[in-house]
Amino acid sequence: METKETLFDFLQQQSGKLLEQTLTHTGLTFISVLLAVAIGVPAGIFISRRKKISGLVLGFAGVMQTIPSIALLGFMIPLLGIGPKPAIVALFLYALLPIIRNTYTGIQGVDATVMEAATGMGMSRSQLLYKVQLPLAMPVILAGVRTATVINVGVATLAAYIAAGGLGEFIFGGIALNNTNMMLAGAIPAALLAILFDWLLSLLQHINIRKTRKMVYLLPLIFGVLSSFYLLPDTYRGKMLAGFTPEFMGRKDGYLGLRSVYGLHMRTLVISDMIMYKAAYEKKLDVISGSSTDGRVKAFDLVVLEDDKHIFPPYYAAPILRSATLTKYPALAPALNRLAGRMNDSIMTELNYRVDYLKQNPETVARDFLRSQHLLQPTGSGTEGTIRIGSKIFGDGYILASIYKMLIEGYTNYAAVTKTGLGGTKIVFDALTNDQIDLYPEYTGTGLLVLLKTPQHITDSIIGDKQKVYDYVSQAFKKEFDIVWLTPIGFNNTYALMMRKADAEKWHINNISALTDFVNKRQ
Amino acid sequence: MIKLDHVFKNFGPQKNAVNDLSLEVADGETLVLLGTSGCGKTTTLRMINRLLEPDSGHIYVNGKEIRQLAPETLRRSIGYVLQNTGLFPHYTVSENIAIVPSLLQWDKAIIQQRVITLMDKLRLSPAEYADAWPQQLSGGQQQRVGLARALAADPPVLLMDEPFGALDPLTRISVRKEFKALDELSNRTIILVTHDVEEAFELGSRICLMNEGTIQQLGTPLELLRRPANEFVAAFLAPQRLQLELKALKIKDLWPWLPHQHSPGQTTALSADQTCWEAMEAVISQPILVQYAQEQKILDGSGLIQAIAAWKN
Repeated sequence: METKETLFDFLQQQSGKLLEQTLTHTGLTFISVLLAVAIGVPAGIFISRRKKISGLVLGFAGVMQTIPSIALLGFMIPLLGIGPKPAIVALFLYALLPIIRNTYTGIQGVDATVMEAATGMGMSRSQLLYKVQLPLAMPVILAGVRTATVINVGVATLAAYIAAGGLGEFIFGGIALNNTNMMLAGAIPAALLAILFDWLLSLLQHINIRKTRKMVYLLPLIFGVLSSFYLLPDTYRGKMLAGFTPEFMGRKDGYLGLRSVYGLHMRTLVISDMIMYKAAYEKKLDVISGSSTDGRVKAFDLVVLEDDKHIFPPYYAAPILRSATLTKYPALAPALNRLAGRMNDSIMTELNYRVDYLKQNPETVARDFLRSQHLLQPTGSGTEGTIRIGSKIFGDGYILASIYKMLIEGYTNYAAVTKTGLGGTKIVFDALTNDQIDLYPEYTGTGLLVLLKTPQHITDSIIGDKQKVYDYVSQAFKKEFDIVWLTPIGFNNTYALMMRKADAEKWHINNISALTDFVNKRQ
Repeated sequence: MIKLDHVFKNFGPQKNAVNDLSLEVADGETLVLLGTSGCGKTTTLRMINRLLEPDSGHIYVNGKEIRQLAPETLRRSIGYVLQNTGLFPHYTVSENIAIVPSLLQWDKAIIQQRVITLMDKLRLSPAEYADAWPQQLSGGQQQRVGLARALAADPPVLLMDEPFGALDPLTRISVRKEFKALDELSNRTIILVTHDVEEAFELGSRICLMNEGTIQQLGTPLELLRRPANEFVAAFLAPQRLQLELKALKIKDLWPWLPHQHSPGQTTALSADQTCWEAMEAVISQPILVQYAQEQKILDGSGLIQAIAAWKN
């Protein structure tokens, strides 16, 4: 093994990217807070004058606050697509409640005698607002801005899922790649940003009343400058835009390989695989990193580009389990192996298509498949123990977990439960080694490159041969983790670059080399 | 100067807070609205600068129906002093005083001059307090700043809502004394609300005693004492009657009953416009010479008491 990379090494290597992400993150946070101030403060003033609708407005903002952040980002995609726009809108909605509520509370809190004196001296409504209510409510309003800013620094990490950038790129990349340094390189700066902004705003909040008056003019300026950070990293842009998952961005068999082997340099966005295919279909992205058996390739009329220089290793799926589990449940391996060799790429793509695009229930799809293969058996007694089946968060995982559950229940007397949606590789693998699940389907390529971190020279020597990869991986897992690979299921869910079929035909691009030539010519 | 004509106001369905109230206040007069809590006196005051609108009836200031003016314009021409001062906590003392002149867009230099003049008159050293914050002042000082703020734009009319109500008794007496002596107030039309009978008698040229939204009696302090209009007025004044009489009665009122004594060489120490209360305080130590209408009399304790007894009969 190579010497282990420290966090410091990582930060040094990625300092440019870290700076870019930090600036993007700061920009996202402040643009949205600035918008929320621009809308929220007038709204707070308005409801302080019309108390009847204050409940309605505060209720609406409160409901926005209760929507889980990732769901809110998800809702935005059909409306606003991907990238900064939906991220800013979602962050804006989160920042709204604290700002409206504190503006309202601050104005309500102004001493009634002071208000009566001001009115009695002949101040107009706008004079009351600017000379009395806002200055006196300012500390409370600033407290709201402070809360909103801190919330948004946190929520903005999720913006990476919809290609809006920020420190979430490192965090999710790190989780996907089992790379703790990368995760920390995103998480620590994000936490520091939150602490820093909180501290700076607390200084503002507790500043002398007299100076606060000048602050009213200064604050939007500061926020405006910070917001503009978002635009800074966005200076170079090619004509083709690629969207890659965080995992793909950092992998040797992903974007790193594309750059070193093919010499492909494109403008890239980090994006969640959940929305990537649709974004390509809607022409928000031109090239995406997908998995070759994904049902959405078919659904969204995309075409897989041939990997003519063989950088993507074989990804044959097979169930993996701890040795101890196999000893404890002797009937398990034969039941699971009934699936071995039963699927090829097109069967898996079809199953995925039914789940991902036709929105059929994974269990229904699994049952239909087993029935067609004559593997569907009535459920056994389930009295001899419970098997916990895990899966990653995308289509294959759900379907395979359901199939295994039915196989176990049909061919053994064990009960089976599924724990699907366990995020990325690191999360589900940790769950397996920590005895939180008993098995999950893993891919040989992932085992080779992500979990084992196999040295380059070994990888290079075996990567072209699926059997060699499987043999190496199963031996190394047995030795290093005491984990057993059963027989592969048969399909190869490898990484692939894909683009819209119409574009590929128009520009005669059928493999990655052709794409590289095309991109280099246009830039 | 100020005229209320059949004014009604109620806040709920039950009874009227102000019930058919009519009164007139002459130029330069100080009218005190006196009564217990909830008698409608503050409601009446707040209708004059349109912090409240009457349900019916008319109010005139300087001969103009106040609803013909924009409320802001009206209010800027009327000084307003509140019980709890209502000073702006985010403005310095001088900025607080300058509020109305600034609203009226006076020239900055003139405003500054006016602020300094008022602070001097109200015994607030400009050097020391101009840039102080209201929270740093004592209660009496805050009340003086409140008064200066109401006077800043030199309004012909001043409305005062329990101006000394929040002060402790000792401070109240001294601030009241200063208030009486203040030349800034001498020619202004003032309506002052209080529940303190003594204060009403001390400050009011006329008193309007109210109960349950109606006027019980409107007259000079002496009229209220000598000819109470009804049982309520008599009962209201009864507990402090003697003290009130001594405060309402002026030396000149007793002049015919004061004994003719003459002792040349003594200087006059009291004016005939001062009250019997003040005279009694003075004559406790020694007899005092008083001059009234080219005539001089020596005032001593027994002479004063005999004169009061004679006046009452």
